[in-house]
Order: sequence, then C-alpha cells, then structure tokens
Amino acid sequence: MKLPGFPTTLAPPGLRRLGLADVAVLCLLGGVIATVISFAREFEAPLSQAVRIDLSPTALPRYTLYSLSRGVFALAISYLFALGFGWAAAKSRAAERLLLPLLDILQSIPVLGFLPGLVLGLMSLFPTRNVGLELAAILMIFTAQAWNLALSFYNSLKGLPEPLRDACKVAGWPPRRTFWQLDVPAAAQGLVWNGMLSMAGGWFFLMVNEAFRLGDRDYRLPGVGSYMSVALDQGNVPAMALAVLAMTVMIVCVDQLLWRPLVVWVEKFRLDDTAGTPAASSWILEFLRRARLARRAAVLQRRAYRSARRAARPLEAPFKSVGPVILRGPRIALGHRVARKIGVALAVVVIAAAAAAGAWRLWLLIAQLGLADWGQLLVAALLTFVRVMGAVVLSTLWTLPAGVIIGRSPRLARALQPVIQVVASFPAPMLFPIVILLFEKIGVGLGLGAVALMVLSGQWYILFNVISAVAAIPEQLKDATTLFRLPRVARWRTLYLPAAFPALVTGWVTAAGGAWNGSIVAEYIEAGGTLRLTRGLGSLISEATAHANFPLLAGGIALMSLIVVGWNRMVWRTLLQWAQRRFSLET
Amino acid sequence: MTDTVLLEAQHVSQRFKLPNGQNLEALRDVSLSVCEHEVVALVGPSGCGKSTLLRLFAGLSRPAEGTVLYRGRRLDGVLGAAAMVFQSFALLPWLTVSENVAMGLEARGVFGAARRDAVARAVNLVGLDGFEQAYPKELSGGMKQRVGFARALAVAPEILLMDEPFGALDPLTAENLRSQVVDLWRDPATGVNTLVVVTHSVEEAVFLAGRIVVFGTNPGHVREQLVNPLPYPRIERSPDFEQMVDRLHAILTATLLPEPAPAAPQRLVPFPRVHVSEVTGLLDHLLTRPDGKGPVFELAEDLGVDYDRMSAVVRAAEQLGWVTTPGEIVQLTQGGREVMAVDDAARKDATRARLAKHPLFGRLVAMLKENDGSVEDEEILADLTIYFPFIPAESLFATLVEWGRYAELLDHNADAARTALLGWESTAETGAE
Repeated sequence: MKLPGFPTTLAPPGLRRLGLADVAVLCLLGGVIATVISFAREFEAPLSQAVRIDLSPTALPRYTLYSLSRGVFALAISYLFALGFGWAAAKSRAAERLLLPLLDILQSIPVLGFLPGLVLGLMSLFPTRNVGLELAAILMIFTAQAWNLALSFYNSLKGLPEPLRDACKVAGWPPRRTFWQLDVPAAAQGLVWNGMLSMAGGWFFLMVNEAFRLGDRDYRLPGVGSYMSVALDQGNVPAMALAVLAMTVMIVCVDQLLWRPLVVWVEKFRLDDTAGTPAASSWILEFLRRARLARRAAVLQRRAYRSARRAARPLEAPFKSVGPVILRGPRIALGHRVARKIGVALAVVVIAAAAAAGAWRLWLLIAQLGLADWGQLLVAALLTFVRVMGAVVLSTLWTLPAGVIIGRSPRLARALQPVIQVVASFPAPMLFPIVILLFEKIGVGLGLGAVALMVLSGQWYILFNVISAVAAIPEQLKDATTLFRLPRVARWRTLYLPAAFPALVTGWVTAAGGAWNGSIVAEYIEAGGTLRLTRGLGSLISEATAHANFPLLAGGIALMSLIVVGWNRMVWRTLLQWAQRRFSLET
Repeated sequence: MTDTVLLEAQHVSQRFKLPNGQNLEALRDVSLSVCEHEVVALVGPSGCGKSTLLRLFAGLSRPAEGTVLYRGRRLDGVLGAAAMVFQSFALLPWLTVSENVAMGLEARGVFGAARRDAVARAVNLVGLDGFEQAYPKELSGGMKQRVGFARALAVAPEILLMDEPFGALDPLTAENLRSQVVDLWRDPATGVNTLVVVTHSVEEAVFLAGRIVVFGTNPGHVREQLVNPLPYPRIERSPDFEQMVDRLHAILTATLLPEPAPAAPQRLVPFPRVHVSEVTGLLDHLLTRPDGKGPVFELAEDLGVDYDRMSAVVRAAEQLGWVTTPGEIVQLTQGGREVMAVDDAARKDATRARLAKHPLFGRLVAMLKENDGSVEDEEILADLTIYFPFIPAESLFATLVEWGRYAELLDHNADAARTALLGWESTAETGAE
C-alpha cells in the first residue's frame, strides 16, 4: 500500500559505478571551485554596509514574504532546469552519459562549501548593490532543489510505456506537443512530490544564506533567517520565538495552499489505472473547484494568452524564417555519419580539455598547501567523518523504531503525516544556535553538539524512507506473522527490519549527505555574539573562508567532495545492492 | 482484389541491444508485401519479430538493413496513411475519450467543426456514443480498445495496423470486437481498405485474414504464407473454417516443434525455459487421455495455456524422452509412463538419470567436474551466452538450476553466486576405489 502523503522511496544519490565520465565531471567541478575562488580573490571593495534588520514584530511578515519569494523563485528555476535537463538526458544517449554522472555528483557533494566562493564571486560582479547577494542566495537554494527534480523527470521519461510514445508519433504530434501533453503530465506526480521535498531542502539553505558572515564582514539579506540571527546576536528571546513561529506558519501555509492542492490535482495524471490507494484531499482545491472565480480566471488567462500571441505576431515572422535553420541545421549535420563522428570527437576533446584545465587550476591552488596543511585537513576530515557516522547511527536509533511503528499503522501514519511533514521542512540551521546554547547550559561542548546538529539535518530522510517501506509490506505477510503467533521480537527480526532495510540504507545515504553538508554550519557557529568552533572539516572550510585562506578552502571542499562521492560509490552502493538483492519483497 | 502493392518490406533486418549487453536479432532478411484491399495476419511464437515488422511498417523505427516502401516510395518517418491500434490501448489517461480520439486530427489539418464531426463519426462507428466525456480509467478493457479503434478510424486511414488488438481483452469482448473489425473493413464509409494484424491466436488469424504469414524465431523470419479464401463473413463453427484452422495449426506446429535433424543428434540445444511442475502436469494430463496422446493445440486449450508455452513444455518433455511428437501429435512414451507411475523420490532419480544424458546438462556436469565440483555462476553464464547468443542467459540458467535442484543433481548458492555438483565428493571416492 502506498500511503497518501508519503513519498515513495527516492532514488539515492551517488550510487552509480565510478566511470571515466565521473573523473571528467570531478575535474570539471574542480575547475569550477578554482574559478569561483579566484573570482572571490579579485573582490576587493567591501560592501557599503550590512542591511539593517528591524526586530519589531510588524516587520516580520514582510521579511517572511521576502524569504518565501526567494524559495519560490528558486523552485521555479529548478523546475525549468529539471525539464530541460531530464529531457536532454532521456533523449540523447551522449548527453545521458555525461549528464547522469554530473547529476549524481552534484547531488552528493556538500554544496554548502561553495557558498562563500559563490557569494564573494557574485558580489564582485555587482559590488554596489545587493543583487549579487540575492543571486547567490537563490542559486544556493536552487542547488538544494534542482537535482532530485531533474532525476525524477528523467526517470519518468525513461519509464514511459513505449506504446504511448508510439501512439503520439502515429498521431503525428510534433515533439513540442508530445512534450507538454505526454512527457510532462506523465511526470507530474513525481515532479510535485519531489518539489515538496526540494522546498524543504531549500529552506535549509535559505537560513544559511540570509545570515551569512565571513570573518568581520556581514552579508545579510532581509528575511526570516537574518531576523533570527540578529535576534540571536541581541539575545532577544521574544524575537527568536517570533521568527520560529513565522517560519512555521509559512511552512504550514505553503503546505496547505500550494502542495496539498497540487498533490490532489496531479492524481489525475496517474499512468496506472489502479485506484486502490486512498485519495488525498485538499480543502483549498475543493474550494477552488467550487469557486467560479477560478473558472473566470481560466477564461481571462486564455484571453490574455490570445492577445499576447496577437501582439507578438510581428515578432514571430523573423523568428519563423530563422528558427528552422537554427533548429534543423545541426540535425541535418548530425544525420551524416562522418559529421556525427567529428561532432562527437570535438565534444570529447572540448570536455577533456575543460576537465584538464579544471584539474590544473585546482592543482595550482592546492599545490600551495604544505605538508602541515594536509595533515590538518586529514585529521579534520577524520573527525567530521566520525561525527557524520555518529549522526547516522543516532538518527537510526530513534527513526527506525518510530518509522516501523508509524508505517505499520495506516491510521497513525495518516494522523502524523502533516505534523512530520511540517517538522521535517523546518530548516535545522535556524535551530542550531538555540540548541548549542542549551547544550552549553548542561555542559556539552560543540564537539559533541555538532553531532546533534547533524542529526537534526539528516534524520528525516531515514524516517520517511522507513515509513514508506514498512507501509509497503503486503498485508498477507503481516497476517502470516500474526497467525503463527510470532513473538514481538521475532516479528521485528523476521519481517519489519529486513523489509525496511533497503529503504533504511537509502535513507542513510541521504542522511549522511545531509550531515556532511550540515557540518559546514554545525561545526562553526555564532550564537549570542560569540563564535564557537570545533575541529573538523566543516569548520576548517568555514574558517578558511573567514580568513580568506583560499588554498585551504579549495583543499577542504575538494577533500570533502572526494570523501562523500567515494564513500557513496564504494560503501553505500555495495551495501544497497546487497540489501536490495537479499531483502527484496519480490519472491 | 487489385494488385497495387501498398506496403513492402525488402530484405529487412532489425537488431536490438538487450540491457545485459547481448544483441538480439529480431528480424533477419524478411521480405513481405501488403496489397491494397488485403487483410494480412502475422502469426508466430513470441519473439519472432512480428510486432517489430509492424512497427517498421508504421515507420516507428527504421530497419537496420533493407528498406520499407509505401506505394513504391521509401518510407521516411511515420507513415501518414496508416493508423495503429495497440494491445495495451495506449490511451492518455488525462485526456477524455473524445480528446483521445482527436489525437491524430490536428496533425492532418482537421480543426474546429470538421474535427468535431470526425470525432463524432469515429465514436459512432465503434459504438461509444455517450462516453465522449469519460476518462479512460472509467472504462472497461473492451471500451478502452473501442477508443483505440475510434482514434485510429478518426483519421480515416488507408491502412490500419493492429498489434494484438484483442490480446488484453476477455474472450467474449474479443469475439465481439473482432467481428466488428471485419464489418469496419468491409464498410466503405470508414476509408480503411487494408488491415495488417499481429496476433498469436490461430482462430483470430483465420477469422480476419485473407493471407496469413507465419513467422519463425531465432532470428525472426517468414516461414510460410497461407492464402485464406473463405468468404466473409466467416462462421467459426463451419467445417471449412475448422479445416483452415487445422491447416494453420499444422504449419505452426512444424514451426514450434521442428522435427529433430537426424544428421546432428548431438547438436547442443537450449533447454526450454519451463518449470518442472509444468512438464509433470503435461504428463499427468496425457495419462488421462486414450493412448496417452493428443494434438498439441488441443492440449493447450484443455490445459488453458497458450501455444507458445505448451510447445515449450512439450519440447522439454521430448528432450527428456518422456514424449515423442510425430507431426502435431504429442505421444507419451514408455519412459514417460514409468516416471509418472513411481513415487516422488524415484521420480527424482529417474529425472537425474535423464538429465545426465541431456547434452546441455551433460556439458554443465562435465564443467563442474573439471572444476572440482563447483563453479562461479559467471562462468556458466558466459558459456551459455556463447552457446546460445540469442537467449537471455540468466533465465536459461535459472531453468537449469531449477531442474538440477529438483533432480538433486545441482546445488546453487545465491549468496556466493556459485553452482555445485551434488554428491561430488562421493563420486570422487568411488573414482578412487
């Protein structure tokens, strides 16, 4: 059974085999790191002044709207990206070979490490205004949202039954029509579910972005995140509570006003006929369906579209004559065998050259690191690694039993679903300083506290995965264990734990990814006006940024990316394959 | 009938790459033409490439070698003169019936009122009036396929291509739709004058087609063509009809159960991918028949399995020496009677003895003995791929393991991915004596 309100198990990132394309992608990425950092170097002029944040409660709605619009704007870009990316990867085998590993790596590397470079780089492009800062924030949110959307669209395109595609071809549909009336509707469900998860991931980044500080420099954007950080600096407890409340209200509103209706609406686009799963409901969609206004709006929209077309007609003529040449030229060229071979060879050369250049630039930066630096990096990496694994274990300790209990009972799952969803969407970094201050009161330092923070940023993935896996156990298997009167322990050992295990591993992959990402903010925290940091790769990256130690920054990011990708490919992948083979529910 | 050739495949070959990297040759050197006003049925066992040929005719894919011509001109892209009906209906679930029916009209320049008329006409032809605003998921299978037909008829195609159009329907619905298809073809108002239908049902082919093309497998090729002169409308219980069905059965049997070539008795043949219980079920059923024999198509009907599967089971029983197949008759042998007469343990022993004599199992056993009784699955899979490049090695291997386990000849460890010879140590000891 698939529960309404819980996404089906998501494909874990970074679990493909290591190939030549991965090497190319890693090198290209290295180039990007180096380039962004060198951009940052050229940045000299300090920003005129930090944005002043007004702590009065009346200002909070405005700030919340600012934050919301950043998230929504980034999501819109993410959807556009996902459609283009997924389509390219599904249609062209050459593109697939390069794009999939790229997606895979982008999904698993700790993107948060790139934030400082990105902010500084974009600020140097727009030195006088906040445009650069805004762009950096939106780009960072985008990096938290886009990958799973793109992967979902790609998978849906690949899984589309061939007869449907054939039917559209026989009907003579042009590719554009097939795209909008077959490809996109068929993917709609996955796109909406993943959009929901993406939005939650986006809030995480938003908090970090809005109140971003480098050493003595302060880069603030008006928003809930910065409101929270100022409140923390001033020790203004009512303001902190208000910020948390505003964030919660925003998440609940987005869930009720945007996602619920969408989830119910996309039920229409299910490909399989089975109507067995209980229908989700949405009061707002019911309301909209009943309201005449919506229908009026549709008519108005159609009218507006038509008049816009009419207005644009003079502009279309030149495009119409040039368009086919642009579109068909490459296609005709690629239709020829020799031309295609030359094209492929050129593409390979360009990619290889770019990868080599990227690797070289990165090397130039990293080569400045001395032996001592490397020792420092490795020790820090080891510390963070231990923390990440500790966080995974700690999260599993509570989410596994909780997930089994919730997944077992559809009633419980239905009741808790909205609560869990809101709690899971709440951006953990907003709570980090509060948690740390509490920990200090009871005498726990950041070295251990960071583990708790990582748990905060990764645990939900495990919980969601376990719940949906346990909910998918066939009723008859549960009946069998009841009939044979298996004791409780045996029931868990023989049925629930094995059935949940593959999903658990998938959850681990994502949770560990979240923890690595979280380490950058969790090991280096400013709360109550003082800076706390504990030794680790995350704090090393944050510190290197603060002191503008670019070689160390590049080395830190590269090392962290390498560890995450390598661990995914070597350990998680093997474990997951074994789990899926051994504990598959298909007999 | 005129002799204008509408569609023509000339020396067409088609290949696919399987996910496991093996190459599958779906068609090899197939030449076939379809004339105007003809109804052609393509029949044959699964995997004989008949659907592949239909897709080539529709212009949905290009042949690896050879050419496909429409009215003497080389086909480039989707054939506009044709419409297609799919086994799985291929309706878009988010479009209503009338929107689905209208799918092909826009590309043919039919808009506005003309489009509404075309949809109404097609909906009326297949008897879907009243369902225009329904969504496909609200319809039964038969109604869905009516939408499929209406969508094809709406564009008034010259050629109607059908890929097992009744395969997913229950027998009653299928029969009803089948006679309607003949009516549609004979009705000049529809504009359809030529049908090409892929089917695995012999009765369906005889009922519909004026010419029946029988395909063989590995790789797909045209084996025989049969002209069906029965006048329309055809009556399924008439003696002429039954005679035609029997003739086609005989041809298909020769395709499915080729007489073993006497020149090469030790040629390595793949073991049919069937289960132990299926073979014993067949033997059980034969025991209940007078003289322990029956025609293969009758057996299939009695046991409720399709012909492909039945013939595979018969071939397996034949390779084990439990039945013989003179013509299309399956005859229980003395060995077959004996194996059914004994208890389970003795049956396993008898099976083991038979398997040891089987060329493929024999080779597997020899390979295991050479390697001290145990071999990695990968090695066996590699060997199987070399012997039988057109058969998915994994599924053949699974069959071998199942039979080996049943006969207590082989042991397989899925965790270690190794296969072992059972009782190998004891054989070594007897060898030492």
